[in-house]
Amino acid sequence: MNTSGKDIALWFIQNFVWLLAGAFFVVFSVTLGRMFFNLNNLHFIFYVSSMVGMLVLAESIALISGNFDLSVAQNAGLTAMLTGVLIVKFNIPGLVAIFLTILIGGILGAFNGYFIGKRGLNPFLVTLSTYLMFDWLTYVIRQTSILDLPGIYMFPGSGKIGGIYAAIFIFLIAAILLFLFLKKATYGNYIYAVGGNPDATVMVGVNAGNVVFWVFVLSGALSGIAGLLYTGYAGAITSTLADGKMFMAFAGAIIGGISLAGGRGTATNAVGGIILIGIIEAGLTMMMIAPQMQGFLKGVLVFVAILINQFRTSFRKRLLMPS
Amino acid sequence: MQEDLKAPEERGKEVSEGAGSEELVKMEGIHKWFGEVHALKGVDFSINRGTTVGLIGDNGAGKSTLIKILAGLIERDRGRIYYQGEEVEIESVRESQQLGIETVFQEQAIVDPLSVARNIFLGREKVHSFGFGKIMNDRKMLEETEELMEDLNLNIASPDQEAEFCSGGERQGVAIARAMFFDADVLILDEPMRALSVSGKEKVEEYIKKARDQGTGIIYITHDLHRVYPVADRFVFLSRGEKEMDIRKEDCSQDELSKLYRRGEE
Ligand SMILES: Nc1ncnc2c1ncn2[C@@H]1O[C@H](COP(=O)(O)OP(=O)(O)O)[C@@H](O)[C@H]1O
Ligand SMILES: [Mg+2]
Repeated sequence: MNTSGKDIALWFIQNFVWLLAGAFFVVFSVTLGRMFFNLNNLHFIFYVSSMVGMLVLAESIALISGNFDLSVAQNAGLTAMLTGVLIVKFNIPGLVAIFLTILIGGILGAFNGYFIGKRGLNPFLVTLSTYLMFDWLTYVIRQTSILDLPGIYMFPGSGKIGGIYAAIFIFLIAAILLFLFLKKATYGNYIYAVGGNPDATVMVGVNAGNVVFWVFVLSGALSGIAGLLYTGYAGAITSTLADGKMFMAFAGAIIGGISLAGGRGTATNAVGGIILIGIIEAGLTMMMIAPQMQGFLKGVLVFVAILINQFRTSFRKRLLMPS
Repeated sequence: MQEDLKAPEERGKEVSEGAGSEELVKMEGIHKWFGEVHALKGVDFSINRGTTVGLIGDNGAGKSTLIKILAGLIERDRGRIYYQGEEVEIESVRESQQLGIETVFQEQAIVDPLSVARNIFLGREKVHSFGFGKIMNDRKMLEETEELMEDLNLNIASPDQEAEFCSGGERQGVAIARAMFFDADVLILDEPMRALSVSGKEKVEEYIKKARDQGTGIIYITHDLHRVYPVADRFVFLSRGEKEMDIRKEDCSQDELSKLYRRGEE
């Protein structure tokens, strides 16, 4: 087989997001100098990215399965609030509360999963409704912030291990596990299959509805962990904990090259998308760009990402299609 | 019902002089409505061990619907199904597979982003089992796929190639290879020759004959009498959801059969 040239080209288009992240990193390092290019700043970029990163992972599996999830950020907020209320009311120990967060996130995701996977309802409409419901519930349950939380509960989002934020480790472990799960577990394979061709997946005897159900449970659990990390970061549980992060979750996944059509994309791509956004956010903030302008620029970035993805798909086809 | 299912490795190939006699599947009075469309109007159908039945009819006759009921993909509205003499409910493709029925659907059922090997084993992966779960044994699946591709003369560059980049004939080959691998008691082929080259068709015909001689009951769906006549033992004509005819090859030459078929068309 004639490898080399073709394989290198493939590698480049598959890992394009990393190149882009590297390019932005160099640009900001050159223009902003030491202010941007120092270890503390990089550490902070990774720290902030790890939280939205959990949401990007949550969004990515929904996208890979051919669905999507508008409710990830609101799930994070509601899960944090529910857990916080339970902690206060029943004096739940921190470690138990951490597991509770994952469980509640998963249960909220199961609600989406049931109606989308088992009842065949449209994922856009279902998760739009749950977005609104979760948002309202978070606000109604308690308008004031919850401050006195157990130290162990705050640790994942604010603590450090060997001088490095624990959140970064948690995110990396989640990303690696998800990567292995998608690549190597039979159930991970079904997620790609359902996203690639749901009818065919049913025809070979896989219960596609079940797969979609569990995708949303997993997406919800990851969102719950995001809520936990945001809680530590903010030092409290507020009713606007992860507001507006849904857009970033999408942006990260799409910039990372996860196909909206389903069936394609890897966890590593998603991580690349997260880091790219983190670098751009930090760079723009340091350049004193107004938040509205930053929002606009992120919009431009997502738009460019969509164009790049389209180019990538057709280029890849041209490379691989037998003549 | 579940305990009557035999594991695939136990399912016998111990066919001797009894071949061709044992009734594998019997469908009785099958009805199916799609909303207002009465797709099947009380169809009876059966297949014996070691026989090939040509299921013939025009587009929209209900052929695919009938076999999809047997394959567990859609539910019938009325009627009974017997498997080796016992009444069964086939509520999913998985249950149909467990009974020993393999289906090559008209739609091919290929997932584009997955490799050829992963397509063949989708839903029935080769795995390393650990306490906590199953990890796919990709190497094993690639090896098995390589062998299957050789058997079927499929010239796909690599079993690791994404199915998206297979030609139409290769995709059909993959769909057939899948059914071949999990060798079945009942093999359903819905328009299997579509998109195949002449040599590909010959390979599939060869395979059909071999499987039949080993005792498999084969349902071969087509509207091409020409191709099915040499390999089939019996012909069932379906027209507008009704069975028009059920005729053995001994009782009918190819010319007579095509005359009957054309008459049915009018
Ligand atoms: N999923 C479906 N929904 C609605 N109508 C269907 C569906 N599947 C088949 N039909 C209808 O049922 C009839 C029989 O179709 P089919 O079994 O595919 O015929 P054949 O395989 O003989 O060409 C046709 O009128 C077809 O339009
Ligand atoms: Mg058909």
